[in-house]
Amino acid sequence: MVYPPFSPFSLEYPPLITLSQLVLEVISEDRLLALRKRAELDSKYVLFLNHSELPLSLPRIASAFSELALAYYREEARRIKSRIEKRSSTSLDLIVRYCFKVAVYAEFRRDWGEALKFYEDAYHSLHEMIGTSTRLPAIQRLVEIKTIAELLHFKISTLLLHGGKLTEAVIWFHQHKSSYDKVVGSTEYIFLHWEWMSRQFLVFAELLEASSATVQSFSSLNQGTAQIPLTEFEFYPAYYYQLAAHYLQNKKSALELLVSMSVAAQEIDGSSESITPSVYVGQFSQLREKGEALTLHFITDEEYIRYAISEAKRFQDSFEIVAWLKKSYESFTNLKSRRMAAFCAFEIAREYFGLSDPSNAKFFFDITVNLYRQEGWVSLLWEVLGYLRECSRNLGAFKDFVELSLEMVALPVTSCDDFGNLRDKTYGPGGPATVSRRESIHREVFTLFCRETELISSTEESGFKFAIDSPLHLEIDLVSPLRPVLLASVAFHEQMIKPRSLCSITLSLLSHLPLPVEIDHLEVQFNQSTCNFVVRNSQKPLVASPSSTVQSGSQEENEPSLVLVPNNWLRLTYAIKPEKSGKLECLSVLAKLGTRFTISSRAESPAAMEDSPVWKHENYVQSLPTKDPILAVFGQKATQVEEPEPQVDVSLGASGPALVGENFTMPIVVTSKGHAVYSGELKINLVDVGGGGLFSPREAEPFSLESHHVEICGIDGAEGNDESESETGNIKKIQQSFGLVSVPNLKEGESWSCKLEIKWHRAKPVMLFVSLGYLPQGSEANAQKVHIHKSLQIEGKMPLVINNRFMLPYRRDHLLLNRIKPAPDSEDISSLPLNEKSVLVVSAKNCTEIALKLMCMSIELDDEQGKTSCLIQQGGGGGETSGSANLAPGEEFKSNTVSVLPKSEHVLSYKLVPLTCGQQQLPKITLTSVRYSAEFQPSTIASSVFVFPSAPQANSTAK
Amino acid sequence: MIVCVSVVGHQNNPLYIQSFTDADDALKLHHVVHCSLDVIEERVNNPKKSGTTLNEAFLGLLYPTLNYKVYGYLTNTKVKFILVTTDLDVRDTDVRNFFRKFHAAYVDAVSNPFHVPGKKITSRTFAQTVSNIVGSYGLN
Repeated sequence: MVYPPFSPFSLEYPPLITLSQLVLEVISEDRLLALRKRAELDSKYVLFLNHSELPLSLPRIASAFSELALAYYREEARRIKSRIEKRSSTSLDLIVRYCFKVAVYAEFRRDWGEALKFYEDAYHSLHEMIGTSTRLPAIQRLVEIKTIAELLHFKISTLLLHGGKLTEAVIWFHQHKSSYDKVVGSTEYIFLHWEWMSRQFLVFAELLEASSATVQSFSSLNQGTAQIPLTEFEFYPAYYYQLAAHYLQNKKSALELLVSMSVAAQEIDGSSESITPSVYVGQFSQLREKGEALTLHFITDEEYIRYAISEAKRFQDSFEIVAWLKKSYESFTNLKSRRMAAFCAFEIAREYFGLSDPSNAKFFFDITVNLYRQEGWVSLLWEVLGYLRECSRNLGAFKDFVELSLEMVALPVTSCDDFGNLRDKTYGPGGPATVSRRESIHREVFTLFCRETELISSTEESGFKFAIDSPLHLEIDLVSPLRPVLLASVAFHEQMIKPRSLCSITLSLLSHLPLPVEIDHLEVQFNQSTCNFVVRNSQKPLVASPSSTVQSGSQEENEPSLVLVPNNWLRLTYAIKPEKSGKLECLSVLAKLGTRFTISSRAESPAAMEDSPVWKHENYVQSLPTKDPILAVFGQKATQVEEPEPQVDVSLGASGPALVGENFTMPIVVTSKGHAVYSGELKINLVDVGGGGLFSPREAEPFSLESHHVEICGIDGAEGNDESESETGNIKKIQQSFGLVSVPNLKEGESWSCKLEIKWHRAKPVMLFVSLGYLPQGSEANAQKVHIHKSLQIEGKMPLVINNRFMLPYRRDHLLLNRIKPAPDSEDISSLPLNEKSVLVVSAKNCTEIALKLMCMSIELDDEQGKTSCLIQQGGGGGETSGSANLAPGEEFKSNTVSVLPKSEHVLSYKLVPLTCGQQQLPKITLTSVRYSAEFQPSTIASSVFVFPSAPQANSTAK
Repeated sequence: MIVCVSVVGHQNNPLYIQSFTDADDALKLHHVVHCSLDVIEERVNNPKKSGTTLNEAFLGLLYPTLNYKVYGYLTNTKVKFILVTTDLDVRDTDVRNFFRKFHAAYVDAVSNPFHVPGKKITSRTFAQTVSNIVGSYGLN
């Protein structure tokens, strides 16, 4: 097989000859060599193929081909480059063409650097052609240049982006944009320029989007150069999509203008149908029949323009614009650029609005309007609201229409805008944001719903195709954008009021509408519906309108006029009489305007009333909602209605102190003194009083622990009232510090009592709270409970203080004194003599003011050996055990209690062991009675004894 | 030429916005200023990424759009100043000088005891000073 050589002109590129093995078998190798030499073929271009090993041979053929191709492209490029360098042709067209060729060849060779260089050269040479070339008619000439520039730009951008040179690509795009930004051509047909510009942005956006997957962290790239600083947004495809859409919008409007202005453009010329793009990039020609043959002819600019207009009209630009803007919107939303996204949403919505698609438009306008509301961009908000108002009009959403209109008219648009700032003639459908415009919208809305029924037939003029006689109700809360329409501030004059007595309430209304509004009547609603009242405008005829909130027969007030003057508080003060106790709060104020329109505004306290954080009505004098400045600053929309005076007495029958371990009984008596008691409930609470302030941190233990120290053991039901308890199905709930007992129904004058048992585990003062809640008038549904509270502090006391100490053995042998000397720390651990009897003194002291009956005492040793626990029994001994002090030396104890009994006799006996002889003093005994302040003092004779030196022992008994 | 200057508060609410153009693009400029707040937010939140230093009040070029260039400035009290210009060739020093003067005028305006912080700046003196600064922009 012999393949033809690549170039028909030159034999520099040898044919590639492949010979099959079969040939080799026929022709000898020598002959083959001779043939090759004769043909002047390099040996590397002659390949031997073995058909059986074709798959192995194919790569060899491929590499031979590519080598040849590379050589060819290199050679071709070199040849053309030499022409460029020689400047053999002064024509710029040719230079552009040569550069393009070289670049394409370089691309074939994957020589990206050279490709880029020559594409750029071509681009710059092309730019020089603007204004110098005269080859084609003016318009088509520019079209051709721009089309080629676009192609070159596409090539350059692609090469840069594929090479990962994102910053360079963006900078290149900027240069491209600024080079051709002003190359508009004929201003009459500017739509051609806008279309071209739009395409540049779109193509670059798509290229950027495709490459952003490969170039991840472009933010880390050096952004721009000193000359051309780049910003974050310029790396986002969304930015270019948005601008592409913007230019296409320009094109669309320019084209629309052109079509509407020129008659010629409106006619679709049949001749333009035969115009087609030529084989040369950026040129157009017409196909004409000449006899049998079809020939291509150059066209005039007029023909071209007709063709371009008819082509442009075929495209639905709006759909393109919406699609690109949506891409941009989604991308900006993902980037958390809320404002950019909102702007894109606004543009999308405007496009839909232009396409008469109000529901889609409303969706995107709503996205925008929320952000502008939130950030208080009043003039932008006004514009969007104007669009939204028209959307709701087209959608027939009457309530939306009214709400949007009212929001618009209540906007704080400053009056200076009338002649100052916003002179934009390209308004949205809302018109200019001026006071006069606000007033006209105000009038439009109010005539819509305030006119009489007979006029409703003409609603079509307002754009609403249906009768709007259905009632319209608007709710305004604290975050509603309609809050400036009707602001209701309500202040009670008193913080606490008595039930069934008159109390004053001031109602202040403020409207930021531009024109005065007359209110037919006001309904003021409270949480206690019996307090609701109506304020009527005397000038308006009394219309018996059904009201869901105000019951018939409730309070009615009349005002000579109820007119809300713009930006002025309408202050109304009335007296109301609350029936029930508890919280009385004004909920809302409902204003009725006309026969069908009501606005309900949430009531606000003057004290808590705040301006919107970003929303200010700067241009008006701020006045207070009430004349009383204190009320204006501290006034509240809620007040507390006191309970009626309780006419039932609760008495706590004991006072204490209570003793630790004792079951302390507290009688509670409920006595009716004028009120009958129904559904009575007694709540009992024990509260630790240690928390008053003077308590150590150790005492501030968790409540659960504390509660164990004092607990309610039980509540003994009322004596003899068992049957009534079962009747009412009484609750009896007891916890450690809380108890709930229900009280049976009591008639006037009756009483009931129960006993509360409280046990102290530790000496601790506690506060006992007892509260009785009852219904004075039977079990009516709306009856209110009356509460009585009682409290009592009860001390918990330790009844006995028990002390013990060891007596040291008496000195039987004074010579042994040193040996039995107590250790210095004997206070803590007494050292006792071994194998000796020691005396343990145990004393129990009554700390209370009452007599205690000591039943028994026991002593236990926790020592292992000492299983000598003993019980000390005092048979029937009762009464006061005063301190058992003054134990004489030698007095022996294993019974260690001394009882002093009132009205009884107690014998105190002890043994004495004399150590020396002579006159000796007996142990002195003093008896002191606390109660009678009596004292016993034995005489000196009775308290001394003589000890003889002789052997006989002396015994003495003293009383 | 400066076409618009604006003061924007903490909650991105406009405190002062004034355009200096005869063309019908006041509303467009409002959009431009509003959108530029996104860039400021991004720069403030990611100071490293954008290469601006923290203690620099001048934020530089925020973004180019259509025929405008938008520059930003952030005061210590987080009030933003935004400048929109139609100049293609803008010298950084000119913009810095402008913002310095503008900042001084702003401080004067809010130091007025009758000015409520967070409210719109309605002072006529401020408006006059601003238009003087705008007029003298780029002259020296």
